[in-house]
Amino acid sequence: MVEAPSTIDIISLLLQVAHITLYILIISAVLGLLLGSFLTMIIVKNIPILKQLTTVLSSFTRSVPIIIQLFIVYYAIPPLLSNFGINVSNLSAVAASIVALTLYHGGYLTEVLRAAYKAVDKGQHEAADSFGYTPIQKFFRIILPQVVPVGLPGWGNALIHLIHDTSLVFALGVADIMGRAELIAAASYGMNQVQVFIIVAVIYIVVTFLSDGLVRLLEKRTKKYKLDSGLNAGGA
Amino acid sequence: MLNIQNLKLSFGEKEVLKGVDLNVNKGDVVTFIGPSGTGKTTILKCINYLVEPHEGQMQIGDINIDFKNINKKETLKLRRNTAMVFQQFNLFKNKTVLENVMDAQIAVQKKSKKEAYDKSIDLLGKVGLLDKEKDYPSKLSGGQQQRVSIARALAVEPDIILFDEPTSSLDPELVDEVLKVIERVAKTGVTILLVTHEMDFARKISNKVVFMEKGKVVEEGPPQQIFENSQNERTKKFLRKFYAKTNEMVEAK
Repeated sequence: MVEAPSTIDIISLLLQVAHITLYILIISAVLGLLLGSFLTMIIVKNIPILKQLTTVLSSFTRSVPIIIQLFIVYYAIPPLLSNFGINVSNLSAVAASIVALTLYHGGYLTEVLRAAYKAVDKGQHEAADSFGYTPIQKFFRIILPQVVPVGLPGWGNALIHLIHDTSLVFALGVADIMGRAELIAAASYGMNQVQVFIIVAVIYIVVTFLSDGLVRLLEKRTKKYKLDSGLNAGGA
Repeated sequence: MLNIQNLKLSFGEKEVLKGVDLNVNKGDVVTFIGPSGTGKTTILKCINYLVEPHEGQMQIGDINIDFKNINKKETLKLRRNTAMVFQQFNLFKNKTVLENVMDAQIAVQKKSKKEAYDKSIDLLGKVGLLDKEKDYPSKLSGGQQQRVSIARALAVEPDIILFDEPTSSLDPELVDEVLKVIERVAKTGVTILLVTHEMDFARKISNKVVFMEKGKVVEEGPPQQIFENSQNERTKKFLRKFYAKTNEMVEAK
């Protein structure tokens, strides 16, 4: 008879690998945001060819289940690239997870950011242009600060999806929280699996709560402009 | 100080400007009148290249521009010598009233914060909105927003201020406060190009009126000539119709 570990033991066993989940989550979130911004720029600037590629990538990452995307990156990309003489056969499961989640998050954010960018009133562009702002000055002083509040709720949702989807990387053999949970549950032949998974659920609730808190904090800081999504010029 | 020759623009099949010539002297207040959709606003937008004409030359101060091959440097220079007051105000929504007036001075003219601040406070005082300096545009009435937008335009000390139907999206009772500010600006001797449907105002403040129709200048001259002694059938018809409508409105009261 195997002795089932206590709740405290399970929590501490799971938290020992929490840094792996957090590492994958934070890196994918940051890289995904950069990728999403870059792809959005391609779409808004209407750059030929790159724009079509972006549309394909974004619709692919949004239509294919994330578990399949993880498998594709981990199992299919290395042999594919080796055909072109690029050797990534030692791609670790963690790296593959980060690549897959970054593509997924970036593709999703492209849609969020594109909509937020378009929500900025055309008059704001005209006003900045009319004073002779350079495109970079216009973007950072006027446009971006107005894109952020509109994009925040969508970004918050994308983050929550990303947090949930990190729980799937154990399918590639990553020993993250979920991977460790499977092991603990298996070690006692599933006797305590409900307990283990409820603890995992609570950990995810805490992480999601923190991410929500971050988004709300940012929302609060940008609320003062009272933007009306740019649909209405306001006034009169 | 501003010369335009043969300004042409079409959107697809539709010719919007069919070769417009214009001469403006320093300190002139030029008003464009005419039916809607005749290209009055478009001319103003061409002058600071928010709309890109297909053909035409323009001299503004010492800047020479051929619209067929204008480059980015010329575009910026052109825009930095003019300022526009928009029909929809277009105040920067992410900036307070004070920041709106300061921003171009800092970003474009590279003035120090202190210098930009002093100038902005002075101008906000002149348009009577000193008490609103910390508010965001969304909290202001349309008339107040437009007055801020005029202060913002004055702040960069442009050679020419372009007023694009500055009172057309205002509630009737807010029109006067904005017109008063424009009148005061006109008296300072700055060169003004104004598109408006306020005929009495046009008559009062301009020293030159341009009547346009269908992408062409039909007649131009001092206000007395256009409003009282026009020899042009089309101008007379437009003004008759306009005043008939105004009279009806007065009678309806």
